[in-house]
Amino acid sequence: MSSPTTTEIVARCQELYEDLHFTAARKWKEAEPGRKVIGYMPVYVPREIIHAAGMLPLGIVGGGDNLEVIHGDAYYQSYICRIPRSTIELGVTGRLDFVDGMLFPSICDVIRNLSGMWKMLFPEVYSKYFDVPQTYEDEIGGTFYTNEMAEFRKDLEEIGGRKITDEGLHKSIEVYNENRRIIRELYDQRAKTPWKVPAAEVYLVVRAGLVLPVEEHNELVLQYIEAAAKEDRPIRDNSRVVLTGLFCEQPPLNLIKSLELSGCYVVDDDLLLITRWLIGDVPTDGDPLHNLSQAFLHHSESTAAKYEPDLEEKGQFLVRAVKRTGAEGVIFASTSFCDPALLDRPMLQNVLKDAGIPFIAFKYAENSGQMQPIREQAGTFADSIKLWSAA
Amino acid sequence: MTLAAGIDVGTGAVKAVIFKNEDGKEEWLSRSILRIRQRDPMELARQAFDETLEDAGLKESDLDYVATTGEGEAIPFHTGHFYSMTAHARGARFLDPNARAVLDCGALHGRAIITDERGKVLNYKMTSQCASGSGQFLENIARYLGIAQDEIGKLSIEADDPEAVSSICAVLAETDVINMVSRGITSQNILKGIHLSMAGRLARLLKSIGAADSLIMMTGGLAQDIGLVEAMRESLGKLKGVEANVTSHEDSIYAGAIGAALWGTFRYDKLAASGQLLQAS
Repeated sequence: MSSPTTTEIVARCQELYEDLHFTAARKWKEAEPGRKVIGYMPVYVPREIIHAAGMLPLGIVGGGDNLEVIHGDAYYQSYICRIPRSTIELGVTGRLDFVDGMLFPSICDVIRNLSGMWKMLFPEVYSKYFDVPQTYEDEIGGTFYTNEMAEFRKDLEEIGGRKITDEGLHKSIEVYNENRRIIRELYDQRAKTPWKVPAAEVYLVVRAGLVLPVEEHNELVLQYIEAAAKEDRPIRDNSRVVLTGLFCEQPPLNLIKSLELSGCYVVDDDLLLITRWLIGDVPTDGDPLHNLSQAFLHHSESTAAKYEPDLEEKGQFLVRAVKRTGAEGVIFASTSFCDPALLDRPMLQNVLKDAGIPFIAFKYAENSGQMQPIREQAGTFADSIKLWSAA
Repeated sequence: MTLAAGIDVGTGAVKAVIFKNEDGKEEWLSRSILRIRQRDPMELARQAFDETLEDAGLKESDLDYVATTGEGEAIPFHTGHFYSMTAHARGARFLDPNARAVLDCGALHGRAIITDERGKVLNYKMTSQCASGSGQFLENIARYLGIAQDEIGKLSIEADDPEAVSSICAVLAETDVINMVSRGITSQNILKGIHLSMAGRLARLLKSIGAADSLIMMTGGLAQDIGLVEAMRESLGKLKGVEANVTSHEDSIYAGAIGAALWGTFRYDKLAASGQLLQAS
């Protein structure tokens, strides 16, 4: 059998992306009696524990631009982002009626409130505010986080009716280590040959991992990497940019496409960060929860959503990303009303200013439909880099 | 020697040009313009491009850079795309090296741009979404009046008592025009009224970015409308403390394509100088 082409792989991923009834996850659950699905929201949860429980971790990142929010607006005031409204909409319209549990990581107050609403709206569903540490010291954040994961492990054991062994966790850590390695390989491939690996395709391929079993996703990403390398796509004279601030509510696919059409090659981003949150392999021996905790504290990605106590280190992750990928500028794209992204933005911009790295900034919502202003900003930004940068 | 093509896909027409740059001397080798008229702009872009190649006696492979602008970013054979404002700023500088402000008036919007001596955009402002400052609106009015597009300017400058038109809303303005026709106002005075209304908005745009006292080059499809150019002079003259200095050029409609091609040669030379040519050509 011949390997699938990029067109075939991307078409399948697009189908998964557009399916707001999560048919693939429903089919997985129906395939064997007793299977459970645990939903999670951005930015990060340790999916390894869900996997070790024999359950499917299902990424819920809002309803996107194809979902009309009718009920969701009644639950939130107008001056907050759209992801909680569209997630409520997914819930109250029965699109998540097969989900046995929901995790709400501590990204911001809005998502924390959503966890409370979920408890009230769906009392029969396991619902947890997953409190990841804000302090990165072993004795404080480390102990707290290990306990938090132990509690979650116990909860899943009760829901699944079976023990989650250390051995099982080691195996799950290994399969997610593999997933992270493959996705990093894909990101490296894009940074080296962005004309062969369009950002919108990378997004769809990575996003498929939110709804597919990780083993299947590993195979899919590998197939895409192989197929994309064979693509004979023309090289454009585009500007290479790092895209940042999109770690929670997702931009519409058209926004990513518009950036590329405007003359930008996206060579790094913080989209769907859960797939790359942990840097390097998590050890597969010893205490698995301690290992996951250590990885979170000491080997995890930086973003505006992560507390950085060291002012010298603040924003350096962007400077490093620019250097690593050979980028020529940074685009700050954040959801309207996103506290974590927008409060940090001026500090991050000052770091870039000091480093002499050009940047622009705009806001979006997951249902933004008007791309002209974004094309205008991205297009003129790309032009200014191409024509007036020193290189 | 660097050879580059510029292709400007506008709302009303596709324009293509080829330029040669040898030791800083810019030479315009060929040009083509095709009205879209409900045809596929991508096919027309290919056709216009082929025509310019043929006229210049060149093959596609002879070109160092194929630059697109306007809505041309999806053209499959381009090397790089420049935003229309960037391209118009450079095109205007080619048409008149003394121009420091550009008024790009196309079918869907007007945009005032101020540049430095290199053609680098320093500031800009564009009309809002409202259609009453656009060429499309003018085209609609001409159709109501039963006038050919190329007659608009000529008739407008013959006006002796221009009638004021709403400058806020295309719908209101169209109603105004229907009323004027029924009141027996001449086409000349109606068209001049519309030109003055559009020019008033555009003059305020120019003033707001500090470009009103520069030499202003009009580009885009409406730059060929002598009635609008005259109305711009009058409107700018009326703004207190501003000396009207508006110019147009018979090739103004090519400004976007010219700018794209010239930036293409510039970009190619820049990449060559930094040893990055293989990465982008």
